[in-house]
Amino acid sequence: MAELATLPPLPDQKTKGWEFTDLSELDLDAYETARPNPSIEGAEGATVLSLAEAAESHPALIAGKLGTLVPGDDPFVARNEAAWTDGVLVHVPAGTTVAEPIRIELPLAQPGAAVYWRTLVVLEEGAEAEVWEHSSSPSDETDALLNSVVELAVGQAATLRYISTQDISERAWIFSSQRAEVERDGRLDWTALGFGSGRGKVRMETKLAGPGSEARVTGGYAGAPGQHLDYDTTQEHAAPNTFSDLAFRGVLADRATAVWRGMIRVDPGAQGTDAFQESRNLLLSPDAHADAIPGLEIEADDVRCTHAAAIAQIDRDQLFYLTSRGLDPADAKQLIIEGFLESLVERLAEGPVREEISAALARRLAEIL
Amino acid sequence: MATPEAVAEKKELAGINADYKEKFGFHDPETGYAYKAPKGLSREVVESISEYKDEPQWMRDFRLKALEHFESRPTPNWGGNLGQIDFDDIHYFVRASEKNSRDWDEVPEDIKNTFDRLGIPEAERKFLSGVGAQYESEVVYHQVNEKLEAQGVIFTDMDTALREHEDLVREHWATIIPPNDNKLAALNSAVWSGGSFVYVPAGVKVEMPLQAYFRINTENMGQFERTLIIAEEGSDVHYIEGCTAPVYSTDSLHSAVVEIVAKPSSRVRYTTVQNWSQNVYNLVTKRAVAQEKATMEWVDCNLGSKLTMKYPSIYLLGPEAHGEILSIAFAGEGQHQDAGGKIIHAAPRTSSSIFSKSISKDGGRSTYRGLLEVADGATESRSKVVCDALLLDEDSRSDTYPTIRIGENDADVGHEATVSKIGDEQVFYLQSHGLDEEEASKMIVNGFIEPVTKELPMEYAVELNRLIELQMEGSIG
Repeated sequence: MAELATLPPLPDQKTKGWEFTDLSELDLDAYETARPNPSIEGAEGATVLSLAEAAESHPALIAGKLGTLVPGDDPFVARNEAAWTDGVLVHVPAGTTVAEPIRIELPLAQPGAAVYWRTLVVLEEGAEAEVWEHSSSPSDETDALLNSVVELAVGQAATLRYISTQDISERAWIFSSQRAEVERDGRLDWTALGFGSGRGKVRMETKLAGPGSEARVTGGYAGAPGQHLDYDTTQEHAAPNTFSDLAFRGVLADRATAVWRGMIRVDPGAQGTDAFQESRNLLLSPDAHADAIPGLEIEADDVRCTHAAAIAQIDRDQLFYLTSRGLDPADAKQLIIEGFLESLVERLAEGPVREEISAALARRLAEIL
Repeated sequence: MATPEAVAEKKELAGINADYKEKFGFHDPETGYAYKAPKGLSREVVESISEYKDEPQWMRDFRLKALEHFESRPTPNWGGNLGQIDFDDIHYFVRASEKNSRDWDEVPEDIKNTFDRLGIPEAERKFLSGVGAQYESEVVYHQVNEKLEAQGVIFTDMDTALREHEDLVREHWATIIPPNDNKLAALNSAVWSGGSFVYVPAGVKVEMPLQAYFRINTENMGQFERTLIIAEEGSDVHYIEGCTAPVYSTDSLHSAVVEIVAKPSSRVRYTTVQNWSQNVYNLVTKRAVAQEKATMEWVDCNLGSKLTMKYPSIYLLGPEAHGEILSIAFAGEGQHQDAGGKIIHAAPRTSSSIFSKSISKDGGRSTYRGLLEVADGATESRSKVVCDALLLDEDSRSDTYPTIRIGENDADVGHEATVSKIGDEQVFYLQSHGLDEEEASKMIVNGFIEPVTKELPMEYAVELNRLIELQMEGSIG
C-alpha cells in the first residue's frame, strides 16, 4: 500500500459514530493482504464477472459507478480503495429479467489474512435480478480481517433483491460499507444477516435518489459470547414520494453485545416521504448488552417518519404459558426466540430466499443457545 | 393567493415577535448598579466576585478550581452552533441593588415596573407563598410565607443560603453536577450568582408550588444562577421556573446549573417555562438523583432563546425510584431548540418515561437528544420514550437522536418517535365544522402538546397555550 501515508487515521472511541465500538486491539499490520478467492455463480441475462477482469474487458459497464456510490472518506473505505485486488461485477442490461439468483461465496479462511473485497451491482432501467452474497469461515477460531465495499445501483424502474449474509469467524474483524442508490420508481429489497465477526462495523445506506423509489431493508443478527456486532444504517430520502421501511432484529446470548445506529434523513424538497425504521433486541442473559441509537433528521414537512426501538428479555408470561402446556423451559425459550425472529422472515416474499433465511436463523439459534 | 387578506397575513407573519421589544423588551437604565464586574473572565474576576460576596474560603477555592476546568476544556462542537459566543465579551457579575428585600414594599420601583410589564403580579398575588424573583444576578425580592417557615422549609436565594445555611449547602454542593462535568457547568461553577436554594425537611409536603422568575437585563451580561433543591425523606415539593428577557442587539448567554437531591420516598417536580428573547444562548445543566422509592419529574417547556441546549437528567439510584421527563420545544424563525432528557437506571425495579413534543416552523429547528440507560444491576427496570415532532412548513427541520443503552436482559425498554405535518384530513374535518384553517391548526397544535400542558399548573398551561397561539399566528397560507 504505497498510499499508506496519506490514508485517514483509524477511528477511536472519540470519533463520531465509533463511540460504542472499541478498535484499540486492531493492529492492521498484523494481517497480510490476501487475494480473495470467491466462487461466483452467474445467471442467464446478467454479466457477472470478476471485477479485476471487468475493469480490463468491460470498462464501460463500471465507469461512473465503481467508487462513486460509497465515498472514500471513511478510513476503512479508503484502505479498501488502496488495497483491493478483486471483487465482483453484476450488470443487468435494461429491460432484462434475470430469473435465477446470482450467487457469490466469499471465504475468509486463512488465519492472519486481510481480504479486501468489492461488489458492484448495476441494474439498468427496468431490469430485475436477485443477488446473493455470502461470506463465511470454516472455523470460528480464524483470526482474519474482512474489509468490503458494496455498491448497488438500482436504475429507473428496476428491481433488485440483494441478500447479504455473513457467518465469518467469531474472532474476525469486519469492516463493511454498503450503499445503494435507487433511481425513479426503482425498488430495492435488501436483506442482511450477521452471525459472525468479533468486532468491527457494517454500514448499510440506502439513498432514494429518484421520485417514487422504494426500499425495504431487513436485518437480523445473533451474537454469541465475545462478539460485538455494530450496524449503522441510513435511509436517505432525496426525492419526493419515496418510501422506505427498515426493520432490524437481534438476539444476544451470554456477554454478546451489539450496537445499532439508524438514521432516517429527509432532504429538503423530499415531500411525500414515508419512512419507517424499527430495531428490536432480545437479550438472553443479564450479561448481554445492547445499544440502540435511532435518529431522524427531517428537512421537509409533508412527511410521515416513524421509528421505534425496543430492548427486552424473553417475556416471562409467554414462557410460563408454554411451560404450563408441558414444554420444557429450553424448548419454550427457543420457540419464543423463533417467534421473535419470525416477524423478520415474514417480511420476505415467499420462496427460496425466505426458506433459506429462515433455515439460517434456525441453525444460528441452535449454535448460540 | 395574493388577496389583500393574504398580503396582510404575510405581513402579520413577518411581524411575529417584531413587537417583542414593546411587549417584553424593555430594559431599565443601567445606571444604579451597585457593582458590575469588568467584561471577560480571569482569576481576578472570579476572586473579586467571591470577595464581594464575602464567601467562605472553600467556595472561593471551588470557583477557582472550576475556572481551571473551564479554561482547559474545548467549546462543545455538537448540538447547536456555539461558535459565536465570545466568552471575553460578557460581564460575569452584576449586582442590581444593595440589599436583598424580603418585603414587596422595599423592592425598588424600577424593578417592580419590570415585573409589572411581565405580568408577574397576577401570579404573585396568588402565590405569595414563596417568590424568589431573580433580577440581574441576584435575588432582590424574596418572600417565604410563615406557613412554610413554620414547616421548616427553606426557600431562599443561593447567596443567602450560603451565608445562613452553610453546612447544608456545603454537604450537597456540586455533588450532583461536579464543576468538571462539562465546559458550561464549569463556567457556572466559577462565576455563579443567585439562583434558588430549597430545603424541604423529612415528611413535609409543600402544597403550593415555589416559584422564581428570572430576568436578564444588562447587555452582554450572562446569567449564571445556581439552584439546589434538597427534598428529605418522604417530602414533596414542586418548583416552578419561568423566564423572559428583554431584547438586545448582541447575544446573551444564560448558563444555569440546577441540582436536585430527591431522598427516599420523596417527590420533586421541577417545571420550566423558558421564553428568553431570541438572542439568548440558553445552555443549562440540570440533573437530579432519585433515591429509593423517590419520584423525580422534569417538565420542560422551551419556547424562546436563539439556541437552547438542555437535557434534564435523572439518575435513579435507589430501588423502585421513578423518573419522568415531559418536554415541549417550539422552534420558530432563527431558533434552534436542542432539548431532550436523560435517564439512567442504576438500581433494581426502577421505572421511567420520557415524552417529548416538538414543533418547528418558519425555518426553525428542533432537536430531541436523549439518553436512556439501564446500567448493569438495574434489574427489572422499565422505561418508555415517546417523541413526536410536528413540522409546520417545508423550511423547518426536526431531528431526533435518542440513545438507548441496555445492560440488563430483564429490562423492558421501548422507544417510539414520529415526525409529521398537520394532517390535511384533521384540518378538513375541523373546517367542515366551521373553523377557519388557522383556528384549526392552532387547535391541532394545542391538542398535540396537550399531554404536557395538562401537567402544568393552570396559569402556566393557559400562558403556554397563549404563547404558542401567538407564535402560530399567520403560519397558514
